[in-house]
Amino acid sequence: MNPSAIEHTVPASGIPEIVDNVYLPKVAVLDRVVSEINGVKTFFWHFEDSAAQSAFKRFRPGQFAQVSLFGVGEFPTSLPPSPTEDDTFFTVRQVGSCTSALHQLKPGAKFAVRGPYGNGFPMEEYRGKNLVFVAGGIGLIPLRSAIVYALANRDHYERIQIFHGAKTPNELMYAPKLLELERMPGVECHITVDRAAEGWTGNVGVVGSLFKKEGVKVPVENSIAFVCGPPIMFRFVIQDLLGMGFQERNIVSTLERYMKCGVGKCGHCCIGVAYVCVDGPVFTYEQIKKLGEDI
Amino acid sequence: MKARILYRNDVLKIVDLLRQQGYEVIAPFRERGRDTFFDPVTDQNRDRIQIHLPNPYYPPKRYVFPPIERLLKIERSNGDLRIEPTYDVQKRAIFGIRSCDVAGIYHLDRFYLDREFPDIYYQKHRNNLFLVNVACTDPELDIGEECFCMCTDTGPAARGHFDLQLFDLQRTGPGDEFMAVAGTPVGEALFASPIFRKVSAEHVARRRGILEEVRKRFKPNTTSWFSAAIQYVSRGEIPEETWDKIGNRCLECGGCTYVCPACTCFTVTDRPVEPNGAERLRIWDSCALSGFTRMAGGFNPRRAVHDRRNRRFFRKLAHYFIERELSMACVGCGRCAAVCHGDIGMPSVVEIIRHSAAQDKEA
Repeated sequence: MNPSAIEHTVPASGIPEIVDNVYLPKVAVLDRVVSEINGVKTFFWHFEDSAAQSAFKRFRPGQFAQVSLFGVGEFPTSLPPSPTEDDTFFTVRQVGSCTSALHQLKPGAKFAVRGPYGNGFPMEEYRGKNLVFVAGGIGLIPLRSAIVYALANRDHYERIQIFHGAKTPNELMYAPKLLELERMPGVECHITVDRAAEGWTGNVGVVGSLFKKEGVKVPVENSIAFVCGPPIMFRFVIQDLLGMGFQERNIVSTLERYMKCGVGKCGHCCIGVAYVCVDGPVFTYEQIKKLGEDI
Repeated sequence: MKARILYRNDVLKIVDLLRQQGYEVIAPFRERGRDTFFDPVTDQNRDRIQIHLPNPYYPPKRYVFPPIERLLKIERSNGDLRIEPTYDVQKRAIFGIRSCDVAGIYHLDRFYLDREFPDIYYQKHRNNLFLVNVACTDPELDIGEECFCMCTDTGPAARGHFDLQLFDLQRTGPGDEFMAVAGTPVGEALFASPIFRKVSAEHVARRRGILEEVRKRFKPNTTSWFSAAIQYVSRGEIPEETWDKIGNRCLECGGCTYVCPACTCFTVTDRPVEPNGAERLRIWDSCALSGFTRMAGGFNPRRAVHDRRNRRFFRKLAHYFIERELSMACVGCGRCAAVCHGDIGMPSVVEIIRHSAAQDKEA
C-alpha cells in the first residue's frame, strides 16, 4: 500500500492543532524588593519580553499567576497590583521551598511567570454598589487589587469601606498606603490590631469588632463584602456579616489551594464541583458553602 | 463506518503494516498466569503478541499520558534563562487495546483537549496515536471477574474513538476470520492492503450473534446499580457514615488511581540538571495520598482519609463532571477492584452506596 496513505492528515481525535503551551512560563526580571512585614516581601518585576508584559497587564483584580523558580518549582500567588497601576508585583510570605527561593532573589535575578489565571472579581458587575472590604492579616494581599481598582474608578461605586485587622501594629499589611487611605476622602478605612504595641493609639480587637465601633455603619443593602483572611477570622466575619443581614451571594472571597498547573488539569485544587484555578479563585460564600471543604 | 474481513493468520500483518509506516507499535503480551502487559513490538517478540488475554492491570494510558513526562528544559548561563518545551512526537500505535481503555483515552481527550487551556503535550501524543481496538469476545480470556463495561456502556465492543476495530468471528478451519471496522479515515486507509476482503451479510449477522452471547457472559453484578449511584452522589444524598465506611477501608496506597485508565491528576516537580540547568517534569499523582492537597505551610483542607475517598468517587460519579466532560471518568475496566486491598474498587463502592440507600429507606 501507499506509505503516505496512513499519515495523519487530520488529527485522530478530530481536534485542531494546539499552538499555545499553557505550561510554558515567560522569563521575568526582578526589579526591586520591599519588605512589608516579618516574612512578607513585595517583589516588583517585569517580563523580559515587552509584548508579554502588555499581554499580562490585561489581568483582572482577583486573578492569580504561577511563579517559577527553576530547580525548585512553581507556586500560585495572587496579583496584588491593580491593572490601573503601572507596576507589576507579587507580595509573598516565605512559607515553603518556592517562596523561600523567591525571597532569596536579588534585584536583576531572573525567574519566570505565567498567567494571569482564574476568574477574578467581577468588578464591572459591582458597579453602582457599596464595596465592603474585610481583610485579616495577609488576606489584604489578594484584596489590594480590587481596592486600588475601585479607588481608581471611584465614581463607579457607591461607598467604599475597608476593614483591616492584624495581630500587632507591626503586622499591618501595606502599612504606608493603608495609613494614607485612612485619611483619604471617599474611602472609609478602619484598622485594628489584636494586641497593641507601644505608641499604638488605634483600635484594639478582632477585625469584626470594627463593625460595632461607634460611628461605623456597614451598608447592607446594595453591598458586596469582600472577605479574606485566616480560616478563624473568615468564619467569625461571615457570622457577623450574615448577622447584619448580608445575603450569602453578596459575600465574596478568594480561595487558596495547592495548585500545580493553574489551568484545570492537575486536579489538586478540585473541590466539590469546582476547580479553584479555573472556576475560581473568587467564589461567593453561597458557592463556598456548597463546595464542602475547610476554607 | 467501513468494514472488511481478514483471516486470523493475517491479523498480525496489521502490526507489520503499522511498523512499516514508522509507528512504534505497542501490543499486549502474556507471561505466566495473569501476568499480562503492553510492550513495544520488536522483531523478536512480534509472534508472541496476544489477541485474547486478560486486560493488563497497567493500562495503555501511559502512551498518551506518561507516568513521568518532561515538560520543559531550562538552561542558565551568564544570568540568562532559557526555557524550552520538549515534546514527544513519536508516532505510536496501540494494537489490541480493549474497548474500556479506548473509552479511557476518549475521556482523556475530553479532559485535556476539549476545554479551556488545551494540553499541548497530551495533544502531541494523541495526534500521533493510532488505536487498534480488539473487541472482547472470548469469555474465558477477555472478560475478567471484575469487568463491568456493560454498566458504563463502554464495551465489550467500542462503538467509536478507535482507528480500527478487530472482531474475532470465532470460527475454526479455512473460514477463521476477523472483521475489521474503520473508525477514522486513517484507519480506513489500511484497507488498501490486500489482506482485507469484502464483508458479507453473513459476517455481519455472525458478529451480532457473538456480541449478544458475549454480553450474557458478564458476571451479573451490583454495578448494574451504577446509574442510581450517580443520582445519589450527584444529589449529595450519600450519608457521611457511608463515606466514612468507604474511607476506613482505604489503605491510601493510591493503587486505584495508578491503574485507572481515566484518572488525570498529576504533580509537577523540578529536577536540577548539572551544571546549571533544570528540567520540569510532570508525574502522575493520586488523590488517595494525604499530601495531595497539602499547601505550603502545612494547611490541608482535606484531612481525613474519607474526605479523599469521597473525592475520588465524587469526581468520577457526579453528574456535574459527566456533563462537563460529556464523558464519565469511569470506564468499567474493573482494575481498581482488582488491585484494591481494602475492596473498595468502583463496583464495591456502588454496592456500598446501594446498601446504605436501601437501609436508609427502610429506616
